[in-house]
Amino acid sequence: MATDIQIDPRGPRFGAAWTLLLAVLAMVIGTNSVGLVLAFALAALFLPGAIVGPQATVQSAVFKKWVRPRLAPPAETESFRPPRFAQQVGLFFATLAIVFLALNLAVGFYIAIGFILVASFLNAVFDFCLGCEVYLLVTRATRRA
Amino acid sequence: MLVRALIVLAVLGLAALGWWWWSRREGQVRHVEIPGALTPDVLGAPRGYRATYVQFSTPMCAKCPGTRALLQRVAAEYEGVTHVDIDASERLDLARELDIMRTPTTLVLDTNGVVVARINGAPTEAQAREAIDATPSPGTEYAI
Repeated sequence: MATDIQIDPRGPRFGAAWTLLLAVLAMVIGTNSVGLVLAFALAALFLPGAIVGPQATVQSAVFKKWVRPRLAPPAETESFRPPRFAQQVGLFFATLAIVFLALNLAVGFYIAIGFILVASFLNAVFDFCLGCEVYLLVTRATRRA
Repeated sequence: MLVRALIVLAVLGLAALGWWWWSRREGQVRHVEIPGALTPDVLGAPRGYRATYVQFSTPMCAKCPGTRALLQRVAAEYEGVTHVDIDASERLDLARELDIMRTPTTLVLDTNGVVVARINGAPTEAQAREAIDATPSPGTEYAI
């Protein structure tokens, strides 16, 4: 496996707070053009984190520039892999939301955004990574060996 | 719009409740009886002669490195206790057989390699000790 990158675990948490804000707005504003823009914004925010890792997101740039200098050094660092996987799950649901909206399926849109809402809420407020918890279940269900 | 805002609040409330229920169970030591022993062959590592922590991790698990450090430290304090870390995504056979649903999950083996306790999620130091303290310490069988 490629080399590990250790990151400040408070970075992804800060990023999740922004995701949470956008997800709440998307849920409340609903299935119209503004909702579509919000779903695209969510997908765009997830994209760099899903491909490169949480250290590449827009939120992490804000965190590094303005938030982290005001904080004490982190008590511990964590691997970039769990939050990167979480960003991939997020990107999946954001894409799903866009597809549902394009197909005019409002319920699907709300369910997809709802998953992002719950996951980002748990991450931002309780520092609990829902995507990481389901990783083994997904692996068990999809791989044979 | 108001209805949807209320739904958002309700969903977040439910998520918080779910998290509270989930985190209360986190790290609890449950005593189990699984017939059959896990051999060093199956584990890919030697067992401790008193007890063995068998921790299941994945590369995507945020709490696994912390649990690994904790269990290694606690294991070092006891005589005859070792720690084995298994990547569940590489050993899906074991993960299925032992019903590992999440990581970290830690099984505690007794001296014969039989699973006597199971810890789902990250334990505290007290919980990690509790699991070992429940296994007979070496030497007791020689006491008069």
